[in-house]
Amino acid sequence: MIITLKDVNKTYPGAVPLHVLKGINLDIERGELVSIMGASGSGKSTLLNILGILDTYDTGDYRLDGVLIKNLSENRAAELRNRMIGFVFQSFNLISYKNAVENVALPLFYQGVSRRKRNILAMEQLERMGLADRAHHLPGELSGGQKQRVAIARSLITKPSIILADEPTGALDSKTSKDVMQVFRQLNSDGMTIVIVTHDPNVGEATDRVIRIADGIIQPTTPTINV
Amino acid sequence: MRNNKLRTFLTGFAVAWGIFMLIILLGMARGVTNSFNSNRSSERSSRLNVYQGVTTEPFRGYKEGRMVQPNMDDISNLQHDLPGIVEDVASYKYLPSTTISSSKDYVSASPQGVFPAEKEMYDLTISHGRFINDADIRYNRKVMVLGKENAKLLFGSEDKAVGQRLSAMGLSWLVVGVHEHRWITDIYIPFTTAMSLAGTDGKVSNLQVKLKGLSTQEDADRAETAVRENLAKAHTYSPDDKNALHIYNRFSSYLKESTAFNILNMSVWIIGIFTLLSGIVGVSNIMFVSVRERTHEIGIRRAIGAKPSNILTQIVTESVAITTMFGYIGIVLGMAVMQIASNIIGENDVMKNPTISLSIAIEVTIVLIIAGALAGLFPAIKATKVKPVEALRDE
Repeated sequence: MIITLKDVNKTYPGAVPLHVLKGINLDIERGELVSIMGASGSGKSTLLNILGILDTYDTGDYRLDGVLIKNLSENRAAELRNRMIGFVFQSFNLISYKNAVENVALPLFYQGVSRRKRNILAMEQLERMGLADRAHHLPGELSGGQKQRVAIARSLITKPSIILADEPTGALDSKTSKDVMQVFRQLNSDGMTIVIVTHDPNVGEATDRVIRIADGIIQPTTPTINV
Repeated sequence: MRNNKLRTFLTGFAVAWGIFMLIILLGMARGVTNSFNSNRSSERSSRLNVYQGVTTEPFRGYKEGRMVQPNMDDISNLQHDLPGIVEDVASYKYLPSTTISSSKDYVSASPQGVFPAEKEMYDLTISHGRFINDADIRYNRKVMVLGKENAKLLFGSEDKAVGQRLSAMGLSWLVVGVHEHRWITDIYIPFTTAMSLAGTDGKVSNLQVKLKGLSTQEDADRAETAVRENLAKAHTYSPDDKNALHIYNRFSSYLKESTAFNILNMSVWIIGIFTLLSGIVGVSNIMFVSVRERTHEIGIRRAIGAKPSNILTQIVTESVAITTMFGYIGIVLGMAVMQIASNIIGENDVMKNPTISLSIAIEVTIVLIIAGALAGLFPAIKATKVKPVEALRDE
């Protein structure tokens, strides 16, 4: 198991406390390509943030690749995010004043890798995404699909345990969406574990397993048929 | 930062202006200090000047109101009696105005009898030959050191003067040296020669006592007391009577002046730094705005593994970069203005060489870096408090 959640609860405090995750139990195996689907307000974004060590949970256990993710310091959390998780976001989240190769190389900067070495590694990832000729373009000069592939290259550069994608096709047209899903399938067939959060049924269908979440609870699994 | 060029420019201008003012003020303070320092140094200030006076206390049967005057014996006695305190004792004697003539021309002047120490005390530069020496004093030699104007007048040019003869007061004098000084034009002869020509009873108008190893006010006070007691014994007056012989302690006033200059220098730094402060507050302000505008970027960086310390370093570095960049514009402009001012003012009595030395430029640079770091620190701490989840949501 690469991801194990046992009875994870999360409540947002406030005048009316909001119990968003109500005892989540979830196992994801190494090499899986899964999607987490749910309506807005179902708790799927909170779940993704907890999986990505961007947010904390109140009770339960979360193990990522054997490491218990609980009560971590800011520094330890940043280090684990950097080494174990590759993020892909709906709005790409590239840094606008850095070119493609600099954006891809950025996670390595925080590992203290020399500029020369990280640019070489970043170029390799861009080549893998077929974007070598766009390496020195700023994000503003790239199409949506290209930006998302730059973001995927960035998520891969630290050789993470899992890729977490948050609505990765949400800002793309249907053809580009298919291309991006194709990239994910390709990475998955190379052995990468990928978790995609989406509300798009087409994206869900393109994964091996769909986890449905509603009202903070994981719905009983109905076996999906791969297309 | 890129989004607000005008705001960045205006803030940068405030920083540059602050540094510019600091440089100008430091330059001016330096000019005033230089001007005073050219006539005072701790070496040349290690002296007591002793003048004649009148007793104010009766002592050993003598009534008060008795006049006391230093004499030739004091010069040798002080050196002999206080070897650990007194390095050297000098005095001077002006002779009445007389005609000094060469084969070509003549001048009217009062020759001054001096000791070799005179050269150091008045910072005289010898352009040709030598100054009065110990042998001249010992053997009452009839030798003269001329000012360059007189040398020119008497011999046509200053380099021809040395080795020539002059006649004055019915005697023949050998010119041994020519001195050049901006405003001292005196004609010097050995002190002992002057005393024998004056034909007085060995009384002199003052003593210049050079002291050894002074570094604090206590040293200066102790030396003054020792000299006073010695003179009181020789002239038979109460050692507590400060009016019998007036003693002017140059070292004490040197220490007081040094304190005054340190205060002047410190005030200038304080004023300059407060001027700079308005610029720094501006930089801090734009860094706050920049952190606010880039919350999303900070969120991205945090998500892909930046630690809070990485974010802190990034913001502080940017702040230091902005501050030093604009600060350097101020330093360069300030130094240019001081250089121009220095060329226009040149050397006058109030200011001398009012330029900024390398060490001040380095000090100002350190101030800039610290100021930039402080300006960035609070915005940077705010940036590290940003939660990655919330920052990513911020568009």
